[in-house]
Amino acid sequence: MCLGIPGKIQSIRDDAGLVMGVIDFGGVQRDVCLQYVADEVQVGDYVIVHVGFAITRVDEDEARRTFEVLKEMSQLDELEWMAEAAEQGMRGLEKPA
Amino acid sequence: MKYLSEYRDADIAKRLIGRIKTRATRCWTLMEVCGGQTHTIVRQGLDELLEGSVEMIHGPGCPVCVTPLEQIDKALLIAAKPNVIFTSFGDMLRVPGSDCDLQQVRARGGSVKVVYSPLDALALAQKHPDKEVVFFAVGFETTAPANAMAVFRARQLGVQNFSVLVSHVTVPPAITAILEAPDNRVQGFLAAGHVCAVMGYTEYEPIAAKYKVPIIVTGFEPVDILEGISLAVNQLEERRHEVENQYVRSVRRSGTEPARALVQQVFELANRQWRGIGEIPMSGLRLRDEFAAYDAERKFGVGGLKVTEPAACRAGDVLTGRIKPPQCAAFGTLCTPERPLGAPMVSTEGACSAYYNLAKYRTADPAGAAP
Ligand code: SF4
Repeated sequence: MCLGIPGKIQSIRDDAGLVMGVIDFGGVQRDVCLQYVADEVQVGDYVIVHVGFAITRVDEDEARRTFEVLKEMSQLDELEWMAEAAEQGMRGLEKPA
Repeated sequence: MKYLSEYRDADIAKRLIGRIKTRATRCWTLMEVCGGQTHTIVRQGLDELLEGSVEMIHGPGCPVCVTPLEQIDKALLIAAKPNVIFTSFGDMLRVPGSDCDLQQVRARGGSVKVVYSPLDALALAQKHPDKEVVFFAVGFETTAPANAMAVFRARQLGVQNFSVLVSHVTVPPAITAILEAPDNRVQGFLAAGHVCAVMGYTEYEPIAAKYKVPIIVTGFEPVDILEGISLAVNQLEERRHEVENQYVRSVRRSGTEPARALVQQVFELANRQWRGIGEIPMSGLRLRDEFAAYDAERKFGVGGLKVTEPAACRAGDVLTGRIKPPQCAAFGTLCTPERPLGAPMVSTEGACSAYYNLAKYRTADPAGAAP
């Protein structure tokens, strides 16, 4: 949970005062809170996401590399939690594109 | 398993190793305080490649591993209550408490659910107004902004059946505690890049100055780590002790300010127990009084629980760098990822599991694995 996962912003919206957005993580899409980076991002940007919250913006190359490295290190458990949360009928996870 | 030779940046890595080895006039002892870094170092064998020039000690950089038994036992007590939905990040489910883990509570009929974001837990509370939804708020500075927001939103939306069991720890006080220990051997630190992406690194500056240790903000990829080590060795050879940022592509000196601000609004510093290490003053976060209504310890009256940790697990010695995991007598025999005795064997970020995943350390007779 300490290593964030990079993803691409697909859409941004206001959810009752909270900036939320859909992020694509290598094909898995999920709702993520963008509140903390709202001033510096737009659709198409890449961000590092920790437990459902975007914390920093990164460039595309960095995002791709980091994702690959996390995959090699088998440090993408969080994607499994997303799936598990979705099975339990929680909001936020859509079918892979 | 991948070795450095197969790594795509192998050439850069080899050059960095060469540079470190030429530069080091003696063997320097450094500590990394990030589970991701520990994983990379052990998996790529960086510590062996640098033998004689740098010794890497694996610090308390895995949030799952440092969560004290006491907090796990509180989680188990709350999760077993009727009418409670207990929610947690996935890697806390198998951390052993005094007599079972969250997975076993679930098997016995307790409602334990894995969530990815603390906002999932809040959404669950909104969906089940007749239940108490509790979220296990663990982690370092990387998860604190998420957990702070869940509590802040709960209050904003007037959700009353939601609370958090807080077990937050912060890195700088742990570094200070390690440096204060009379038998400390650490001469420089690699600070966790992702933690600093959130918090920035101004807090490390007085530590570097007071204890005269280089602190390098470092990423978790092999080349990042070798660069971080190289910067630390340069400083040590030149008798400098500064905070340097290797991970400029993700880390700014002041971090992500809106996140820091909300963490400060919702949480305050508090003494915290670290598993196997004991209490470190002002090393964790607790809810501020104005958010007391969301404190699961108060809501369920478990705040006073105190437990002693089992002697067989040497997590404390591992987490402070006194021993390497294979030196623990239980490693690979009584303690395996399938049947972990201590938290560092549970999480993929834990030092014991990082070593266990390398076949060469798994020499123990498997027949001896079952007690
Ligand atoms: S090997 Fe197991 S018992 Fe030994 S320190 Fe690590 S987690 Fe604890």
